Amino acid sequence: MAGFREASGDLQLESVTKAFGDFTAVDDIDLHVPRGSFFALLGPSGCGKTTTLRMIAGLEQPTAGRVMIGDTDLTGSRPYERPVNTVFQSYALFPHLTIKDNVSFGPKRRKDKDAATRTDEALELVQMTQFAGRKPAQLSGGQQQRVALARALVNHPEVLLLDEPLGALDLKLRREMQVELKRIQTEVGLTFIHVTHDQEEAMTMADTVAVMNKGHIEQLGAPAALYDLPLTRFVANFLGQANTGVGTIKDTDGDHIVADVLGTPVKILKSRSQVLEGEVLFGVRPEKVTVSRSQPDGAGNDVKGVVRDVSFLGVATSYLVDMPSGTTWSCYEQNLDVEPLDLRPGDEVWLTWNPGHAFGVPVDET
Amino acid sequence: MSALAHVAGGDPDFDPSGPVPAPTKRSWTAYLLLLPGALWLGVFFVLPLVQLAAVSLQSRYPGFPGYYYRDVNFENYASALTDYAPHFARSFLYAGLATLLAFVVAYPLAYAMAFKAGKWRNLMMICVVAPFFTSFILRTFAWSQILADEGWVAGTLNFLHLLPGGNIINTPLAVVAGLTYNFLPFMVLPIYASLERADPRVIEAGGDLYANGFTTFRTVTLPMSMPGVLAGTLLTFIPAAGDFVNMELLGPQRGKMVGNVINDQFLAVPGGYPVAASLSFTLMAAILVMVFLYVRRFGTEELV
Ligand SMILES: Nc1ncnc2c1ncn2[C@@H]1O[C@H](COP(=O)(O)OP(=O)(O)O)[C@@H](O)[C@H]1O
Ligand SMILES: [Mg+2]
Repeated sequence: MAGFREASGDLQLESVTKAFGDFTAVDDIDLHVPRGSFFALLGPSGCGKTTTLRMIAGLEQPTAGRVMIGDTDLTGSRPYERPVNTVFQSYALFPHLTIKDNVSFGPKRRKDKDAATRTDEALELVQMTQFAGRKPAQLSGGQQQRVALARALVNHPEVLLLDEPLGALDLKLRREMQVELKRIQTEVGLTFIHVTHDQEEAMTMADTVAVMNKGHIEQLGAPAALYDLPLTRFVANFLGQANTGVGTIKDTDGDHIVADVLGTPVKILKSRSQVLEGEVLFGVRPEKVTVSRSQPDGAGNDVKGVVRDVSFLGVATSYLVDMPSGTTWSCYEQNLDVEPLDLRPGDEVWLTWNPGHAFGVPVDET
Repeated sequence: MSALAHVAGGDPDFDPSGPVPAPTKRSWTAYLLLLPGALWLGVFFVLPLVQLAAVSLQSRYPGFPGYYYRDVNFENYASALTDYAPHFARSFLYAGLATLLAFVVAYPLAYAMAFKAGKWRNLMMICVVAPFFTSFILRTFAWSQILADEGWVAGTLNFLHLLPGGNIINTPLAVVAGLTYNFLPFMVLPIYASLERADPRVIEAGGDLYANGFTTFRTVTLPMSMPGVLAGTLLTFIPAAGDFVNMELLGPQRGKMVGNVINDQFLAVPGGYPVAASLSFTLMAAILVMVFLYVRRFGTEELV
């Protein structure tokens, strides 16, 4: 049995696969997480996020592939041999120990001489010092969450894994903790891998987001990049809102492809489309669509629709517009003009968008 | 940051285990529901106990064995303590040993059932409970066969020269073995229940926080199962200390346990009732004191 592995550097998953019987929970994942970054693993429930984390922690061994930190191959080593700590989804605090003993558990196991001071510092960091003498059952969910965080952070792991750490908190507390987590990560400078199914949470907190679906990674990148240019239909719909339509590519026009959508030509920048012939699913974000009463004469794409609903939000007005294809688009107009459009449900409107703002992805989900 | 200070300091007095306000209007339903149980306890527990207490204080008619009169005579207690002190000592020693052995056998079994058994779990559970389907006396008789000099256990041990005295049956060893066997399920089931209830993630957290398998067991799993261990040891020790069947069927002729003395005084010795009653009370009091001290030492509020 090998002892504790001192490893330092970027976290790397190489072709990692995990099968339970004949069900593949994680399918050939490659990941590179730079040291010190805040990385989010985003995906719907059951897509394999927890399984991926458990393989990094050593609580599960991959069926194939390697888990590396820096140059050290951690595959096959036991959880207690890895410089990795986990904040469990259910917190998993030791019910028989006080908060202080929960937090000092890791340092004591590693025979850290400064266990006591480090424990105090960690409790300080999450502002739980005053509860040090209590048992976990005497704390609220949000407080338990902080203790779980302190218990992992106190060890200064090379990689900290957080499995939906805010999932059990109410919305207000969750927003506060998002800011707090981000502050702590900046303060301690550790690699954070944050698992969540909340796309807003992933986008506000992470430097890099990996979108996971059915055991594989659909797309990986900075939140703004994923939002701006999704590469698959799944990512387009999972991250933010997207107005979409299906067309058949008929033509090219310089840098653009031209798709026929129920007789209306729709242009998409070639560099922003993943398909260049056949069927394409094009999409455009609500804030990139302009609503007007008459057909604009610009070089953009325009489609006529019927207003279904108007919501005045103060800074902006949100419109729901029924499209000829039968789908409903959402448009988000900033209230910059003094004179509002004054649209009513049933009014005919023109929706316009810049071809450079649209994106094209394959129609069928992979 | 200020938002968080608010979160952390939001409810310093939050305590889910705090007192729940009592319902202002008492409901008669609760008392009505308690009635059958209370009657049962009154008729079959409290009344006999009072009767026993009265008997324990009675005196014998000198020269008339089997007859006694109402009195307040503590001499029975004095003789219970002086004449039968060795019997008490043996009872507690054998019961203590049986409890320890039962714990040593039951813990790994309960652990395997809770964490390793998988699809075999239900079968194992049935095996643990199955002996209850036959009578306690019958099973103890079976043990007297198993441990008999002609039986394979004694035979094998003698063949290997591992049995200094030559036999097992009619020795204290056989009594302790019988007690261990008979009360084993009472040890297994509570330990199993507390292990089963433990969140596997909490045990994994031990490994995640640098504790190897053994350290995790020592610092996480075992403490978390203490309520079950506590319940199991009590459920084994208390009946074992008062038992007489195992000694009767498996034990030696001399050097009985206090349960056998009580049994004999009641059934075989003319005029033995007051002594038997005072022995019963002494045993009860001794067990109560021991249990109290034990729970004080090993049970914590959260765990019991
Ligand atoms: N130990 C296991 N045995 C069998 N199937 C499992 C096991 N753990 C997870 N799975 C399955 O793997 C899939 C992914 O699970 P998980 O990683 O927990 O998803 P997520 O955390 O993204 O919600 C799920 O379909 C789940 O049922
Ligand atoms: Mg999960």
